[in-house]
Amino acid sequence: MNRKSNFCIAAAVVLAAFVTLSSTPSSAQSIEEKTKVCAGCHGADGKPVDKTIPTIWGQQAGYIYIELRDFKRGDRKSDIMQPIVASFERQDMLDIAEYFSKKPWPDLGQPRAPKDISARAVTANQSIGCTGCHLDHFQGDGTVPRLAGMGRDYLAKQMTDFRSRARGNNPGMSDLMLATAPDDLAALAEYLAGL
Amino acid sequence: MNRFPIVGAALLGAVGLLTGPSIAQQETKQEAKSASGQAKVSPVTQQQLNSADKSSTNFLLTNGNYAQTRFYPAKQIDRDNVKNLHVAWIFQTDVKESLETSPIVVDGVMFVTTSFSHVYALDAKTGEQLWHYNHKMGPITTYCCGPNNRGVQVLGDLVYLATLDSKLIALNAKTGEVVWKTDIADPEQGYSETMAPTVIKDKVLIGTNGGEYGIRGFLRAYDAKTGKLLWNFDTIPEKSVGVWATKDATGRDMHRNIQAEKDQLAKTGDPYQKLGGGVWQNPAVDLATNRIYFVVGNPSPDLDGSIRPGDNLYTDSLVSLDLDTGKYACHFQYIAHDVWDLDAVSPPVLVDVKGKDGKTIPGVIHAGKTGHIYVHDRKDCSLIRFSEAMVPQENMWVLPTKEGARMLPGANGGVEWSPIATDPGQALAYAINLHQPMNYFVENSPYPNGKLWLGGAFKAIPTEKQAGNITAVNYDTGKIKWQVKTPEPMIGGILATAGGLVFTGEGNGKFAAYNSSTGKELWNFRAGAGVNAPPSSYMVGGKQYIVVGAGGNTQVDFHRGNNIIAFSLN
Repeated sequence: MNRKSNFCIAAAVVLAAFVTLSSTPSSAQSIEEKTKVCAGCHGADGKPVDKTIPTIWGQQAGYIYIELRDFKRGDRKSDIMQPIVASFERQDMLDIAEYFSKKPWPDLGQPRAPKDISARAVTANQSIGCTGCHLDHFQGDGTVPRLAGMGRDYLAKQMTDFRSRARGNNPGMSDLMLATAPDDLAALAEYLAGL
Repeated sequence: MNRFPIVGAALLGAVGLLTGPSIAQQETKQEAKSASGQAKVSPVTQQQLNSADKSSTNFLLTNGNYAQTRFYPAKQIDRDNVKNLHVAWIFQTDVKESLETSPIVVDGVMFVTTSFSHVYALDAKTGEQLWHYNHKMGPITTYCCGPNNRGVQVLGDLVYLATLDSKLIALNAKTGEVVWKTDIADPEQGYSETMAPTVIKDKVLIGTNGGEYGIRGFLRAYDAKTGKLLWNFDTIPEKSVGVWATKDATGRDMHRNIQAEKDQLAKTGDPYQKLGGGVWQNPAVDLATNRIYFVVGNPSPDLDGSIRPGDNLYTDSLVSLDLDTGKYACHFQYIAHDVWDLDAVSPPVLVDVKGKDGKTIPGVIHAGKTGHIYVHDRKDCSLIRFSEAMVPQENMWVLPTKEGARMLPGANGGVEWSPIATDPGQALAYAINLHQPMNYFVENSPYPNGKLWLGGAFKAIPTEKQAGNITAVNYDTGKIKWQVKTPEPMIGGILATAGGLVFTGEGNGKFAAYNSSTGKELWNFRAGAGVNAPPSSYMVGGKQYIVVGAGGNTQVDFHRGNNIIAFSLN
């Protein structure tokens, strides 16, 4: 973990405490106030400060909402995210999701995967059918996230966490990752990051 | 923004028709568009719908008529002249995603839909856009197999649409404006809509998707004038256990561990509340008996049977109900306790068939993902016969394992959601099939609150060749009459016509006409994107057209496009 991410966590914990203890009810806060905390990790310009943190600018609104909901329910574990969402109501989460979905998807400047890696990833996709849900060009829709151009390290970690069920809020994804070889998952992460 | 069809000079030049269509377009502008710029649509009566099978001008229902024969009675385009078929117009929709629409045509006005629940009204003669309904999708959509929509139906002045975010909507047929809208079910719990409604006797019949998300499936009737729910039939009854069937419809052992299931039942009770059972495709309606026939999809989770003991009624079944009340009439289950997702999806068709004693009786036929066409007695749903397998079957019914167990067919079939066509004069059913060798994996996880719940995975084997076929089956004998092999798996649909033809498309963009008696290819066209939608036919101004969507397919990942293409003779 680098210094940037340490700072991100520290900032998030402080801000989360502020959000939780704030006397202002969340319904009275503007969307900018509600989302102030997010920039600390997800980036003020939409580029996450650490490679293991997901891009949320331009992400599908339904997906952002479901993840916030799952953090609140405890279905998805995160020491950082859970305190932040603890006070959010459903409408807060829908509003935040809508807000970030309207922002432009940032270019993380990741290189295209080499030919052999791409070929491996394409074969893996054909085999388990990632695009059956993530759709053409891996753009996602509704409650299914965009994967194209997402940070490579984040993608790799999520696929690994689904595979080990460390990330437990989508057993269907865990099943699909378990049916896929780790080398194929690594190829997919590199391929998707470079799209 | 107005959309215009592509009828470029190059295209027209290629088919040698430089002057005809432009005159035709001017004429049709007057026919299909009123002075106020709206679509000039005649109200569709119930009588028209009842006799849709005899109409050789309109195409009023998703599968042609209430019996769903997809047999079109016009024969202007026939085996001799089909070689002269050419593009009349192309309309490009705003949505370049999987296209599964069945175009509906009412007196020169065509209604097509796209992924994400858009609807377009077009001039059926020219392809000119008359209106466009762009559904404002809610933020939550949860769906399997693509953001598809398979079409609309018209009754009176209303166009009925079911949307990806699980709403039922009636649109003004002239303007595309919303007349009423009702919520069908909660998308956050895994419900979505991709099927076209079937509208009859002021009832809108609609099922639901969600068998991959632990829903409890249903078929419902809504009031066509108000959107009020009239009746609901749960496709999963509270007693879903059934008779502990150990063999499938063809008599093959399914290797169930009945004792283990009974122990699980004693421990956790009947699993009916999250057992899936989506209804993906339209019911057929028997106008003589006032009964409907539809098929029910897979149980949830797809591959893990250990947590859903019993036959999982009425998943993987043909079901018949009373149209007025939604009351159960009969059912037949093809695969009890399915753990392969080889469920029942392709819409059933009502035709007269030879019974077991050789006498002609009212029958109902269904093409399964197993690769068989099943022939039933319409009276009690009982199975009369099943056809020869249309695709290779190997290692059936090996149970899914953690390491993966190979079995054919793969989980898409056989025949997927693709509607079949029939030619009652020849007693033939035409089906398009997939051949995708797969390994079946099982995993165990509890109900995930509306998330994807497969209970494992089906994985295409990269080293094995995939393919497809078009197969004509004699439903009175169960024998295959002819089969055309295709280089890729087939998904979309097929149409038969009185001109002695069948039309169907492939994922590689080929759309072709075949001799319906022999399977000989008589004509083809390259559409530039996967032709994975069921074709329709109609007549305007004395000219017969064939129309089909070319937009590719999400499920099998065929090349996407956004074209609606109409063909006619000179």
